[in-house]
Amino acid sequence: MLEFLDSPGVLQGIYITGSLTLFFIGLYGLLAKRHLLKVLISLAVMEMSVYLLFVGLATSPGETAPILADGLATFTGMADPVPQALTLTAIVIGMAVLALGVSLAVQYHRLTGNADIRAMSELKDS
Amino acid sequence: MSLIVKMLFLAVSLSPALTLLVWGDAVAWPLLGGIELTFDLNPVSGFFMLLLALGAPLVALPMLRGAHEGPAYGLYALLLLGMQLLLLAGDFIGFFVGWEIMTWSSYLLLLRSERSDLEGAQSYILFNLASAFLLLAGILGFYSLTGDFRIEALASAGPAEQLILAALFGGAFLIKVGTLPLHIWVPRAYDQAPDTFSAFLSALMSKMGIYGLVLLPTLFPQGLAGLLGSLLNGPAAGYILAWIGVITSIIATFKAISQEDMKRLLAYSSIAQVGYITTAIGVGSSLALGGALFQALVHTLVKLLLFITFAGIILQTGQRRFNDLGHLIDRMPIAFFAVLIGIIGLAGMPPLPGFAAKYLIFVALIDARWLLLLAAMLLSSTAAFIYCYKLIYAPFLGHANSPEAKAATEAPWPYLVPQVMLMGLLVLLGIFPGLAIELVIDPVLIGLGMAALGAPSPGELATAYGGYDGVVLMSVFGSAFMIVTGLFFLLRGRMRRAGSAYDLSFAGEVPTAETPLHYGAGMGRELRRIPLVDWILSRTTTRFQAGLTRQSLAASGLLGGLYRRDPQTWILLAVLLFAVALTLMLLAGGL
Amino acid sequence: MELQLTPVWFIALPLLVAFASPLWVRLQLLMPLLFAVPLLLLVLAISLVPVVRAAPLLETIVIAPPLGIHLHLDAAALVMLILFNLAGALMAAFLWLGDTEPYLRGRQPFILIMLLITGCTGMVLTGDLFNLYVFLEIAGVSAYALSALRRDRGALEAGLKYLIIGSVAAVFFLFAVVLIYLQTGQLNMAAVASDFAGIPAPMQALIGLLLLVGLGIKAELFPFNFWVPDIYRGSDPATAALFSGILVKAFIFVLFHLVFLLLADPDVARAWLMGLGALTMLVAELVALRQQDLRRMLAYSSLGQVGLIVLALGFASEATTAGALFHMVNHTLVKLLLFFVAALMLRRVLSLRLGDLHGIGHRMPVATGLFVLGSLAVLGLPPLSGFISKLWILKGFAAAQLFWPIALILLAALIEAAYYFRWIKVFYDTDPAKAHPGIMAGPVQGAPVYLPLLLIGGLLLLFGVAPFLLEVSFVEGAQSLLAREATLEQVLGARL
Repeated sequence: MLEFLDSPGVLQGIYITGSLTLFFIGLYGLLAKRHLLKVLISLAVMEMSVYLLFVGLATSPGETAPILADGLATFTGMADPVPQALTLTAIVIGMAVLALGVSLAVQYHRLTGNADIRAMSELKDS
Repeated sequence: MSLIVKMLFLAVSLSPALTLLVWGDAVAWPLLGGIELTFDLNPVSGFFMLLLALGAPLVALPMLRGAHEGPAYGLYALLLLGMQLLLLAGDFIGFFVGWEIMTWSSYLLLLRSERSDLEGAQSYILFNLASAFLLLAGILGFYSLTGDFRIEALASAGPAEQLILAALFGGAFLIKVGTLPLHIWVPRAYDQAPDTFSAFLSALMSKMGIYGLVLLPTLFPQGLAGLLGSLLNGPAAGYILAWIGVITSIIATFKAISQEDMKRLLAYSSIAQVGYITTAIGVGSSLALGGALFQALVHTLVKLLLFITFAGIILQTGQRRFNDLGHLIDRMPIAFFAVLIGIIGLAGMPPLPGFAAKYLIFVALIDARWLLLLAAMLLSSTAAFIYCYKLIYAPFLGHANSPEAKAATEAPWPYLVPQVMLMGLLVLLGIFPGLAIELVIDPVLIGLGMAALGAPSPGELATAYGGYDGVVLMSVFGSAFMIVTGLFFLLRGRMRRAGSAYDLSFAGEVPTAETPLHYGAGMGRELRRIPLVDWILSRTTTRFQAGLTRQSLAASGLLGGLYRRDPQTWILLAVLLFAVALTLMLLAGGL
Repeated sequence: MELQLTPVWFIALPLLVAFASPLWVRLQLLMPLLFAVPLLLLVLAISLVPVVRAAPLLETIVIAPPLGIHLHLDAAALVMLILFNLAGALMAAFLWLGDTEPYLRGRQPFILIMLLITGCTGMVLTGDLFNLYVFLEIAGVSAYALSALRRDRGALEAGLKYLIIGSVAAVFFLFAVVLIYLQTGQLNMAAVASDFAGIPAPMQALIGLLLLVGLGIKAELFPFNFWVPDIYRGSDPATAALFSGILVKAFIFVLFHLVFLLLADPDVARAWLMGLGALTMLVAELVALRQQDLRRMLAYSSLGQVGLIVLALGFASEATTAGALFHMVNHTLVKLLLFFVAALMLRRVLSLRLGDLHGIGHRMPVATGLFVLGSLAVLGLPPLSGFISKLWILKGFAAAQLFWPIALILLAALIEAAYYFRWIKVFYDTDPAKAHPGIMAGPVQGAPVYLPLLLIGGLLLLFGVAPFLLEVSFVEGAQSLLAREATLEQVLGARL
């Protein structure tokens, strides 16, 4: 009954809508939430949506992992390995940035007792 | 150590003279992209180099007094370097380089004065940079027409292009010479500059603007005549330039009369005198240009003399206002004679060379049949007598109005040496105006491709409208002066006994020691009773410029508001702009 | 095995040295190495000049392009490499010789500065879009961490703000890369460039705008640069010098590298980039008029110069491009000089507010004199090098009969003069009533710290008087930056 969902067009549509929805959720959080951690989480959500979009659109149903084993001797019907490799790299990078951000936010909170992004006004001195 | 540095500095100040004497072949310096700086001495730049060569050591001498100031010497050397580059440059880039070095090094020198305030310093540098950038814009426009930076006549250009170029270059040079209404920086700068450096600003740096104005007509194929057509038998552009000069000199003269501060008076007088030169350049005939150059020469000598003398007076008394001085004639006789010679030169009275310069300009105006201009110029040069009178009367005559003025002595020798030398030069020029024309003026005129004025003998000044013999004139005036002075000294004792300055009484009042007893006091106030003069004096562009500053600051604050937001607003703005731009692009893409 | 002079060293050496930092701590070699590594790479880069002049160097990593990653060292990239490593060496010398704060001397700043230089070098060298993203993040993360290094309120705030806005930019950029890959199936820049015209127009617009916003934030273009003054204000002045001197230059270079490569017809982007550049320049110069803190003022001035460079690069003629490359070099040197002076003043006066710096010229004559020199150079006044590069740009516009940029550039220079000379006037104020004697609490700086500053001053003067020494490099850089076809041919031809 749900076979139509397996057609590439519909799947890609779902991926696109899903990841764009995630993107805008992240954007909303980034713009509207004031707590530093929430802002950082929103950033992560936005990044995640881009990864999802990438992985989702770069593969089609039925493709297998691009590994020559178990009797597979040719590169046919395999998923493009590049997007997955790239996404992995990007996740690692995003992770690092997030970790730095959270550690800075924690230090900032410890120092000032403040975690509100709009209340950061030390530098506005003119 | 200090002595060696000072000697070295003095040697550097002689460098323009050295350049003038030993300059050999043209020198070229490749810059990049096919731009090559060329430096050479030609008759026109040679004339201005001569002024620099005369003035630079005379200003350097008083600067050497007192503790040694390394930075000031360095900046002065840079300034001289810049001006020499400017004068030697055979291409616009070299000209601009010299112009800018001159601008910023003089600014930094100006900052060394304790009197300089933020407003004065800012108006100096901003007006001068505005002038420089107009010049650069003109240079680039010139380049876009010719593909070359050499200073030579445009081969061909449309009338509109010529006019824009003339406006850009003209604007640049007119700011530099302090033409109204772009003069506001001049009195401030001359007032606030270190006292001896004011002499340099007025006598030499304003002449660089004149150099530019002299070069300006040579850039266009038909000179000034090609710009706006002709008017009243002459080039209309020249006519406009001449009126700009005359109006400047009239207004500046009245402003000068109403000043209470000696250096400010000299500043306005400088604007007025340079205005005459502008007028003469506007007339543009060989007679007028001869007059302009002669006036430039005389004005340089006179302003050097007056500024250095007054710098000496300020040094000895610490007073700068006319009302705080008086009766210095006994204590500073050399300064008195210096100012006397100075004002005779300034007012353009015989027998000093100022007369020859003005005579040439007047004759040129008559020759061009621009009689309205002549009348206006006569008005301004007559009114100039009043401030000249103030210059001699207020500090030297009357009675001393401050304790410092009562105890002052003659200025130290580094001030006196230039004074004496300049007095001598002025008298010599007065005796031999013909010699000056033959030696100094005519080569320039020939260099500009004009007819030489010529002189029948070294002492004679001759034009088609008559002339005079400087030797005769000087002997007559000189002997009259001798006789009067001799009589004065003979009868002096008796005149002293005849009364004191306080014997004077007016309108039933008996003056006290505090009453300023000279006619210069309050002169500006009385002047305002004259209807038109009052109107002129009450106009000022200060408010316009303050308004401009205020508006820029307001714009700055408004735009600065954008930068005072929090990160979420930054992101919101970026995203919104992204969305708007995307929509627009998609719509434009026909989707 | 013989060591080959390949572009890989520019990335590998600093990375290796950075990761071996515990060893250097033990050997007490941190500061010498921080200085020696960029210096070594500088020498290497200069020795490569004749090689690159003959033909650009292509360094393939594992697989040939377009599948594999490759580094592309052409004349333009070489100019940037020389600039980055020169700036790095000067920065290290300043930190090493001076009485530097402890948080700028330890292992952390050592690693971060190395990584920053590596990231910028990588961005300039790489020929692969995703690789570019990686280097962009390396440079970004080290910059965020650097600006928060002082760990006080202001520094942490700057670090956090920088991190947030930088991450947003990175997401935009990553989005563009993803879309490009989905559309073309390529990540190699040259391969993407040859296929780019085949992408549907709306998608091209979307990708272009994503790239513009992402790189525009990083390269400090006008409607995206509101974060800059805060970050520069909160960071240590020496760090801000790195941001303004190296980081921004790398991003501007990347932006234009992509624009020139992807778009066959530069006219499309010309209007956008010239407009944004002009706006950036004017707005920044105007806002700078009112600044009361030296770091903020320098930040706005930096923005103004970035605007000028973008305006000139956007026009994409050979003369303006070469002039813009020259101007990048000048601006890096000048901003290093000015920020170093600011750092010295901060150490001495403990404040960089206008009101606290009255009369500082009489107490720190050398530093203030160098500030004046730097100001003259940044204003483009002869005989300093800023004049030459500005003249080159203006000449390029004049030769093309395009006059509005000339008018705007001169107007901006006039506004810039208004605030720079205001600061100079205050520095040399002679009014003793306004001076704050009590605030001069910091120690007097030793003489060696002035060495790098004097060297910069000397370079500014040298390049101003004898610019022909560098002319060929910039002209070739401009040519290689603008020669799209030749680059494509080299890279894609190298596949065979």
